[in-house]
Amino acid sequence: MDKEQIYAVVKKYILENLEDLQDSDIDPQKSMKDYGANSLDIIEVVSCSMRELKIKIPRSELADIKTIDELADKFLANMSAEANQ
Amino acid sequence: MDEILNYSLADFQYNDNPDVLEPPEDFEAWLQNPRINYCFSFFEQQLLCMPRTTTEIKSNLDQQKRKMINLTSYNYLGLSSHPEVIQAAHEALDKYGTGASGAPLLSGTFDLHIKLAKKLAEFKEQEDCLLFSNGLAGNMGAIQGILRKGDFFILDEKCHKSLVDGGTLSGAKMLFFQHNDMDSLAQMLEKSKGKRTLVAVEGVYSMDGDLVKLPEVLELCHQYQAAIYIDEAHSTLMFGPNGKGVAEHFGLEDKMGVSFGTFSKSFGVVGGFVCSNARLIRYMKCYSSPFHFSCAPSPVMVGALLKSLEVATRDSSLRDKLWENTAYLKKNLLDLKLDLGKTESQVIPIIIGSSGEKLFQMATEIQKRGLFLQPVDFPAVPAHSRRFRISVSSQLTKEEMDKACNIIEDVIVKGLK
Ligand SMILES: Cc1ncc(COP(=O)(O)O)c(C=O)c1O
Repeated sequence: MDKEQIYAVVKKYILENLEDLQDSDIDPQKSMKDYGANSLDIIEVVSCSMRELKIKIPRSELADIKTIDELADKFLANMSAEANQ
Repeated sequence: MDEILNYSLADFQYNDNPDVLEPPEDFEAWLQNPRINYCFSFFEQQLLCMPRTTTEIKSNLDQQKRKMINLTSYNYLGLSSHPEVIQAAHEALDKYGTGASGAPLLSGTFDLHIKLAKKLAEFKEQEDCLLFSNGLAGNMGAIQGILRKGDFFILDEKCHKSLVDGGTLSGAKMLFFQHNDMDSLAQMLEKSKGKRTLVAVEGVYSMDGDLVKLPEVLELCHQYQAAIYIDEAHSTLMFGPNGKGVAEHFGLEDKMGVSFGTFSKSFGVVGGFVCSNARLIRYMKCYSSPFHFSCAPSPVMVGALLKSLEVATRDSSLRDKLWENTAYLKKNLLDLKLDLGKTESQVIPIIIGSSGEKLFQMATEIQKRGLFLQPVDFPAVPAHSRRFRISVSSQLTKEEMDKACNIIEDVIVKGLK
């Protein structure tokens, strides 16, 4: 899976969990908070995405992530590491 | 293998085990790890007598019974073990029996409940009061009783889970503002402009011991026509000239929209209460589920609570002693150059940093030395500021505090070097 596909999964859950948001509104360089997400929404998006991508990253390692793009990168790195094992 | 140690309770909320009666498979695997198992052994250690400042505990670490200096229990004013409170509980037990045997609206309201609610409403300078058998349920039930889908609920990000759960249950849109940050609060209020909005703050924040910036919050609430809900779980009976709480401390006790308190901490019993205007309380009696659909608090507790309130408010001696002890302990800990965060209350964190390993090593040694001081780990606090958390009690003696500080110096100060 490449980053585009990962991003598509994350985006799907952002759209599902946040109100009044269009696909075209989402800029990956922004934070979900910029789109009105609260901490519970973010947990929901991250957990659903990880489930679909079949990865699991500890929450303690996600604390410093600022943007949607960084989140996709983190997922990608984790999937590549898994694949190489 | 060490990977597993990066996981925490934040990571197992979702459960896709096909057997609905089983926890997630990886949760079980995580718990089996000896290191995680060890951390869990600090949970549910058995107290063998009253939670006084010196108590006895059966340690999970080695199954030994130990006399310990207690810096963990929320018995801030020693009321759970106060002879007059215990006597009042006995008297209520003899007269009313053990249970209320009914929901408040049907048959669970005793004269004791009415008396306590009235006294609490007066104490908080509000018109009326609702009693709950459980503090968490009180917060949750109040929020669920007040807010509806389409409303806005704005919370300080450090607010207690009971408020968050109440928000979820209510269906209101929840917005969190950065802790005590007025710019962030204003941003959120901007988003809820024109909608019914309730802002929740805590008098004393339970993990850091700092106070809400109440005058600033109130001013913003006025500006945006939002109502304010204050959770005074860790401040009632302690703050303010008359012990009414942090709102009184700021001279704003009559300006609160809703004032919540719990009976499990300074009161030394269990349960919660919500004070507000009489119309809202009457409405909540019908729509707050933990009130309407749940048995009223046990008369034994209510009898004890009436006495707790009397003992704590008939003079200022207990809270004076609490603040004297807090000042003494804080000075000694600061002399040891410990990081106490921004504490302004009887809740004093000792921040250790990011190492969970160090936290639990220290916790073990502290316990074996005879100090009951529990570690607080991520996700209850941020991963970079794991800590111990002291609950000061008015009942601590100088000898107990000196001994505790010695142990803290030997274990924590040396461990941090
Ligand atoms: C701020 C705050 N609110 C509410 C509660 C819930 O109170 P209780 O433990 O009495 O149910 C607690 C305590 O756990 C708390 O710290």
